[in-house]
Amino acid sequence: MRKTSIVFFFILFFVIFAPFIYADQTEIRILYVNDFHGFAEPYKPFGSDEMYGGIVYLSARVNSLRKEKVSLLLSAGDMIQSNNWANLSQGESVIELMNTMRFDAMVIGNHEFDFGQDVLKKRISETKFPVLGANVEGLDMLKPFVIKELNGIKAAIIGIVTEDTPVSTHPRNISGLKFLSSESIAEKYVKELKNKADIIIILSHIGHHADRILAEKVKGIDVIVGGHSHTKVEKPVSVGNTLIVQAWEHAKALGVLDLTVKDGKIVKFDGYLDKIKPDAGKEDRVVLKIVDKYKQKVDSVLNEKIGEADIDLDGENVRKMETNLGNIVADVMRHASGADVAIINGGTIRTSIKKGDVKVKNVYSVLPFDNYIVAIRLTGKQIKEALEHGVSAIEEGAGRFPQVSGLSFQYKKSAKAGERINEILIADKPIDPAKEYIVATNDFLAAGGDDYKVFGEAIKASRDFPIIGGVMKGEKVIYSDSGRWLRDVVIEYIKEKKRIVPTVEGRITEIQ
Amino acid sequence: MKVYVNDTPVDILPGMTVKHALIYAGLLKDREFLKKVYDEWGNEIGLDGALSEGAKIYVK
Repeated sequence: MRKTSIVFFFILFFVIFAPFIYADQTEIRILYVNDFHGFAEPYKPFGSDEMYGGIVYLSARVNSLRKEKVSLLLSAGDMIQSNNWANLSQGESVIELMNTMRFDAMVIGNHEFDFGQDVLKKRISETKFPVLGANVEGLDMLKPFVIKELNGIKAAIIGIVTEDTPVSTHPRNISGLKFLSSESIAEKYVKELKNKADIIIILSHIGHHADRILAEKVKGIDVIVGGHSHTKVEKPVSVGNTLIVQAWEHAKALGVLDLTVKDGKIVKFDGYLDKIKPDAGKEDRVVLKIVDKYKQKVDSVLNEKIGEADIDLDGENVRKMETNLGNIVADVMRHASGADVAIINGGTIRTSIKKGDVKVKNVYSVLPFDNYIVAIRLTGKQIKEALEHGVSAIEEGAGRFPQVSGLSFQYKKSAKAGERINEILIADKPIDPAKEYIVATNDFLAAGGDDYKVFGEAIKASRDFPIIGGVMKGEKVIYSDSGRWLRDVVIEYIKEKKRIVPTVEGRITEIQ
Repeated sequence: MKVYVNDTPVDILPGMTVKHALIYAGLLKDREFLKKVYDEWGNEIGLDGALSEGAKIYVK
């Protein structure tokens, strides 16, 4: 009986006095995503047998978690570019989605610049939330920070984007812009805001490694919500007094960070990644309508006629001989990058296009991979090595067989691999082994794909990549546009030409 | 830019991603990939994740 009374009085005491004990303590929740890249629908990632993602399921989780606690919904950038669902409306679909989901703020990511500044400004004007970029100079529509109030707690959110943005998009997309040091800008705004807010959040698109360095160097940051490195940070990481989080990529996870704030300090935290998988019946129906609307638009764009081919475009024989389709693709790459020559692997081209109307979807089938154009300085000797490699496994029908532009060569199949190339002409002149030529290729070969080693050697020889006037100036690297897929450049070319009549011109000749 | 794949140095262009480092290291052939990639703190990373100078990644 005595024990029961003690427990009763203890509970009574707690019920009466708890509101006073915890009166100055407030709980808030931060929900976050990053690197969505327009992946609206679930998909099976490499190495997984399971489907992940699906923005309709993620949105439903957001709705549910918001009901539990007062929340912020933040995006750490790279939302509007990559997947067809985003690309074919130049990101309009994603902004409509984010407005509907009531995002509170996003930081601009490097890939937000990929459609050019005019499109970017239009997208920003459509948002119902602030787009942040404190270290971007020259784009007035970006705000350095925003202060949000939740349950009386003022949260200052500062946006920081990677200083490497100029090396990951076409130079014209960042023309006139400067990307300042994320550390010094973060420091400046933390100082400015520390007396105006209870907590300071950096919404970062600089990558997890750089987030850790930022937390070490700049004191006073309470939370870094990160993106750019597509890192699956399962639990919040503490670096000094800063918590660092990041929610993987492609809407495969929703980040949840619960904070208890007292006297302007985080006194308790708990965080996790909520994995997002398809769960029939649990979709956010409002968001589903947006996803479906733009899926229909994607279908409509894919069926759009962009030109006519007067003859069949051969994508079947690209692994054993010069073809007219190989010539078009290589020509487009050479012209787009301003290179002297272009060399690609035949394996990049996956199918043919029949004579007649050419539609967007035909080009997407020919070039299904997310490859982009890179141009690198190679010596004549290195070009010969690349071509020798290209014809070294012709008997196997290997994807390395080259398709070229701006050069012609002869090879002898019966000769030993590595000694098959006989004559190479560039602009109708014999190649000079010592002279440097600008060679366009795709990022796959530039990274050594299909065992093309010479591009990697050239990259290795390019000792540094200073950014001068907003453009990367590598010693050997002339052009790199990771924001525009090769297929889209080819589509633009066909749209411009309207009628295409490519021929086999004797660029690649087999001799006996 | 130099990064490390399973402690082996590889040179890639600034702006290139985890995928490119794996291609260079010969670990991503035929565009098929059945393993996972982790950063030096053991966090899983996506193939399109950005890399920074000196980054160390591990394929398991």
